[in-house]
Amino acid sequence: MRQIEGVMYQTNAPKGVDPDGIFFVQVDATRCEACGSCEEVCGTGAIQAINEDGIRQVVDPAACMNCGQCLISCPYGAIYEGVSYVDEIFEKLKDPDTIVVSMPAPAVRYGLGECFGAPTGTYVGGQMHAALRQLGFDYIWDNEFTADVTIMEEGTELIQRVKEQGKKDARPLPQFTSCCPGWVKFAETFYPDLTPNLSSCKSPIGMLGPLAKTYGAHETKSEARKIYTVSIMPCIAKKYEGLRPELADSGFRDIDATINTRELAYMIKTAGINFNSLPSQQPDPILGDSTGAATIFGNSGGVMEAALRLAYEVLSGKKLSNPDIKVVRTHEGINTADVKVPGFGTVKVAVASGLANAAKLCDEVRAGKSPYHFIEIMTCPGGCVNGGGQPLDPEIRASLFRSTVAQINKRFRARKVGA
Amino acid sequence: MKMNRRGFIKACGIMAGYAVLGLNTVRTAAADVMNFVAQRQKSVYDADANSGIYKYRKSQDNPMIKKIYDHKDGFLHEGPCGHMSHHLLHTHYVDRSARVAALKDKGFKFNL
Ligand code: SF4
Ligand code: SF4
Repeated sequence: MRQIEGVMYQTNAPKGVDPDGIFFVQVDATRCEACGSCEEVCGTGAIQAINEDGIRQVVDPAACMNCGQCLISCPYGAIYEGVSYVDEIFEKLKDPDTIVVSMPAPAVRYGLGECFGAPTGTYVGGQMHAALRQLGFDYIWDNEFTADVTIMEEGTELIQRVKEQGKKDARPLPQFTSCCPGWVKFAETFYPDLTPNLSSCKSPIGMLGPLAKTYGAHETKSEARKIYTVSIMPCIAKKYEGLRPELADSGFRDIDATINTRELAYMIKTAGINFNSLPSQQPDPILGDSTGAATIFGNSGGVMEAALRLAYEVLSGKKLSNPDIKVVRTHEGINTADVKVPGFGTVKVAVASGLANAAKLCDEVRAGKSPYHFIEIMTCPGGCVNGGGQPLDPEIRASLFRSTVAQINKRFRARKVGA
Repeated sequence: MKMNRRGFIKACGIMAGYAVLGLNTVRTAAADVMNFVAQRQKSVYDADANSGIYKYRKSQDNPMIKKIYDHKDGFLHEGPCGHMSHHLLHTHYVDRSARVAALKDKGFKFNL
């Protein structure tokens, strides 16, 4: 176990194992104060009291979507991560025979700076690329590029689905997004009858892994078998996704290691890099260039907005002069909108963040009452910027706050026990 | 707004904080922190609209996207959802309901 940015981690870099058997998130029973915050934020009920004292545990990996919302909400730092590839990545970076590729997600660049003292949300994309270069990554590729690819693939799939309605073997509507690994596992576990509605697109990182080892290898004249891909995510559930046995379409494992924003900050600090004095640098081309549509994947409603920027132009044949489609931007809960597309009609969309909201939309679809064409779901309230792998909310971290709450809680519990 | 447990804990912390730190310090700190998701979100939309950071705002305008999907010699020259796309970029899903059903049979309770 080691502490990384206020969270405990187990050093464990699994390979070729069934991710369904792993606790990516678990409670250290000796540190749990039985406050119940974790249970409150959990969408499935996977984390529950296991004894009369109210000590919580994630009772079985099958019911846990690995989102880490419980972890970032625990005021006592009692919840730890069960998987960390940090040591293995340091070894690969030292090995001259391994070509190490970095693949950071959009939201990482809006959280990483906080670990180096920047105000909440500060954009540090340029410094992040510079830091990855200094750490010794051979190619600074970017998951934002494949966010753009995702829009091309998923937008095209949606247009195909709309057009094939009424025909034999038509794929059903609404189409659900498939970028969020917590949501995908949730659909597979609790709504398996709706998986035909899930877009068949892999997530952006699920696309960048195989593209790095095929297209990227070809363009850089690298041997694909020497490439080691590092997925850098604001998320814990991405560690589960990276281990999915089906993600091996490049002829190798598509994703070799997955870390989150906190672990990247730890690596930068451990390597002695002075993050705040780094110049802003660009990613490497081929699999590095991206657009504003890609970066908004980090927000709830962002995939939807980015997809609509494509669908509007393809369906209407017109240029979208103002790319802001603010109606779908979502801070919490469910957001719905009718988007009028000239020459086509109305595209009905819904955006939900949080699994309880996802369940509401799923129940509607199951009952055949869903009016929507396209539904975006994010497991974490607000989207990936609030992911389980992001730096902690400073208030949850504040020791003054934590100790005060501990006192309040103890008094509260003492009273309850006494009554 | 419905106050959830996290909100409740924060509120307790803030009330207790008033007693320790005095009103003003705590008020500023609380306002900063309660909105931290909104602050990260705003920063994302600001970057999207900042041409100094992102020259293009639509995926289809990305020159590297045009290159990879180029009809003549692009790696994905059949276009989105073409043969190569289906091989590398699309996937299938697995029914994972059995294990949770088995846990429920054993008496575990979940929200769904
Ligand atoms: S939030 Fe933390 S301290 Fe509170 S019950 Fe859950 S694990 Fe225990
Ligand atoms: S990681 Fe997510 S699904 Fe698993 S117990 Fe925590 S909140 Fe629940």
